[in-house]
Amino acid sequence: MTATAHVEEWTGEDVSLSEVEKALCNLRTEAGRDEGVPHMRTSVMTHIAWVPPGWHEAAWTTLEGLAERHPSRAILLVPGGAPGDGELAARVQVAAYALPGERKHVAAEIIELRLGNQRAKSPASIVMPLLITGLPVFCRWRGRPPFGERELEELTGLADRLVVDSREWDEPVADYPRLAELFDRVAVSDIAWQRTLPWRVELAYTWPEVGSCEELMVIGPAADAHLLAGWLRSRLDREVRLAVTPAEELESVAVDGRELSHPVEEAQGSSDLLSAELETFGRDRVYEAAVRATG
Amino acid sequence: VATTQENPLLEGLPLAQTPEPCVLVVFGASGDLTRRKIFPALYALAFRRLLPESFAVLGAARSEWTDDEFRTQMEAAVREFGRDEFRQDVWDRLAEATSYRPLEFDDDDAEEDIARYLAGVDEERGTQGNRVYYLAVPPDAMPTLVAELGERRAAEGWTRLIVEKPFGHDQASASELNELIGSHFTEDEVFRIDHYLGKETVQNMAALRFANGIFEPIWNRQFIDHVQITVAESIGLEGRAGYYEKSGAIRDIFQNHMLQLVALTAMEPPTDFTADSVRNEKVKVLKSIHTPGPKHVVRGQYGRGYVEGIEVPGYREEPGVDPSSMTETYVAAKLFVDNWRWADTPFYVRTGKRLPRRETTIVIQFKRAPHPPFAEAAAEELRPNVLIVHVQPDEGVSLAIGAKVPGVGMKLRTVHMDFAYGGAFQVEMPEAYERLLLDAMRGDATLFTRADEVDEQWAIVDAIVAAWKRDRPAFPNYAAGTWGPPSADDLLGRDGRSWRHH
Repeated sequence: MTATAHVEEWTGEDVSLSEVEKALCNLRTEAGRDEGVPHMRTSVMTHIAWVPPGWHEAAWTTLEGLAERHPSRAILLVPGGAPGDGELAARVQVAAYALPGERKHVAAEIIELRLGNQRAKSPASIVMPLLITGLPVFCRWRGRPPFGERELEELTGLADRLVVDSREWDEPVADYPRLAELFDRVAVSDIAWQRTLPWRVELAYTWPEVGSCEELMVIGPAADAHLLAGWLRSRLDREVRLAVTPAEELESVAVDGRELSHPVEEAQGSSDLLSAELETFGRDRVYEAAVRATG
Repeated sequence: VATTQENPLLEGLPLAQTPEPCVLVVFGASGDLTRRKIFPALYALAFRRLLPESFAVLGAARSEWTDDEFRTQMEAAVREFGRDEFRQDVWDRLAEATSYRPLEFDDDDAEEDIARYLAGVDEERGTQGNRVYYLAVPPDAMPTLVAELGERRAAEGWTRLIVEKPFGHDQASASELNELIGSHFTEDEVFRIDHYLGKETVQNMAALRFANGIFEPIWNRQFIDHVQITVAESIGLEGRAGYYEKSGAIRDIFQNHMLQLVALTAMEPPTDFTADSVRNEKVKVLKSIHTPGPKHVVRGQYGRGYVEGIEVPGYREEPGVDPSSMTETYVAAKLFVDNWRWADTPFYVRTGKRLPRRETTIVIQFKRAPHPPFAEAAAEELRPNVLIVHVQPDEGVSLAIGAKVPGVGMKLRTVHMDFAYGGAFQVEMPEAYERLLLDAMRGDATLFTRADEVDEQWAIVDAIVAAWKRDRPAFPNYAAGTWGPPSADDLLGRDGRSWRHH
């Protein structure tokens, strides 16, 4: 889409939040020095990502593909990533993206905060000073959320939307009821659900035959398969059996033995999928009903 | 696909707004508009699966093409002008639904043949007698075609008529055409295209004004000094001499796009965003526009000059143009909207060809702060607040505000706060024709002009043109690559104002 024009970076160990804010301000000025004026900030949200150490690389890859589409402030929280229990280490980036066909650059900000174990227990107090006032807050939770734990409670308390990917969970069916408990407190979206969209469209095209569906056979990840089955059960208001053959990607869907044609849409990358979720506001009642019907 | 009520699986899917089954019949299908706009738009809709499952396109024009020749031409057009990657499977689906019939518009037998053919398409593709007729034909073919279509309405299904500009060449001809259309079609079946209304930023004017509580209270004569609307083109005729010689800038841009931009800027908040509510408010503005006297209108024609460093010919030297042509390529006017909100607030509007750059902007200039408590020298760089809506290019909104220059002492300067669409929403914006075609198929006329709007627009233009008959300006009166004739600057200069140049 666009090319990165310039990236300014600052890092610090054992830092305070005011040092982070000051670094951010300096980087914004630095990034626009060539043009003589700071780059525009056209933020539409604050994007928090809870990134346990194993997810670090994947999170950065996704963000790099995302920043130019959502030039906002991204705050990556890496629990247990600082050497000392009470420490905070930071890496701050301001990336300026040239807008295609225009003379302007847009600035995106990424703040990675590595939290000592103690600091990781109260993430809301760390994030709150950095939220952009008046804009929605999205919280992407990498891996399985620790349902009932303080860090999840705190972050869902300040986020307008929690974004998970239930494909990243070991036992999605067991965890869906726990996820459903959050629905009345925070809008939730699931990247696994987003991946099923082309197949849901194909299934909708098979109406009215699909209306009497008794068995769904899926070759694909368990999360996708159970969400599709839950969706059919909740939309059709009838029992639908599910047979899953595990696979890394959603390869095939069949209704009562009849295989659907493969959707024409190409599989989306992680940045595209997250991008789609970040454009969604409010509760997705269809998804919520599908999750509740997965059991 | 059935409706959401019939098919519960549609709930929440992006398919929910797909139009009902229909056939789109494009008259004038061998023309440039079909190649450059209509088919690329259809492909973009097909790409996003926004066309109905039961759908067909029939092209009709004078060219003696076969179905295959038409499809080949349209495939090339989609490849050249489409905004999406070319995907063979998407094109194949659209091509399979596409056919072509050669047609003389006044040939009864050929029209009968098309009616029979469409009935066959209904049988074969399940399009249920629903028709969208797109009249991309020259003005002289319009009356015959409208009458032919009106007499051959399908026995079942709905009919919608999309009419391209120019809609008449004056108030009388437009009224005549409206009457003819009205004798065969109801107003809610007629979709008069002004493609400016399909542009995202034009629609954003409504969002800016009516979704933000901060602007509407100051959107009036009490706070606004004046409004400037510019529709500038850097290009020349681009092979359209035949059309442009008859229309000139006043019929090409001023009568439709320009007056629609004035209406959208000045209209009262509609009660809702339905077609009639929005159009009721726009037509009130058009009715309130005071006919500008001769001193309030400037016309111009470009001579030889330089655009982007390249020497370009004058208008009279363009191929197909009369060497003594008196056609105007530039119009500027000072308009007044005579109502409670806008009384005595000038709307300066200008449009022209071969201006320094392509730009469409709506500039709202606010009155100066009544009593800035700063020394005169401190504020000498300070200009009044200006809100600029950039329609094209660089879609977005800027607000010019006064700010203190950092440092000791109180020195003020004007700075711009920019909101660039491309910055906040990095999605590809749909082409105006995609939105308009889809809306017409869905029956939503909000972004189309109504008969009474067209009538009012022509009334203003007729009054201006009538005054022009009494004098003969010395054309050319501005060089290509400049911002128009000096008299256009005087139009504002007399009021102590100036055009906003960059």
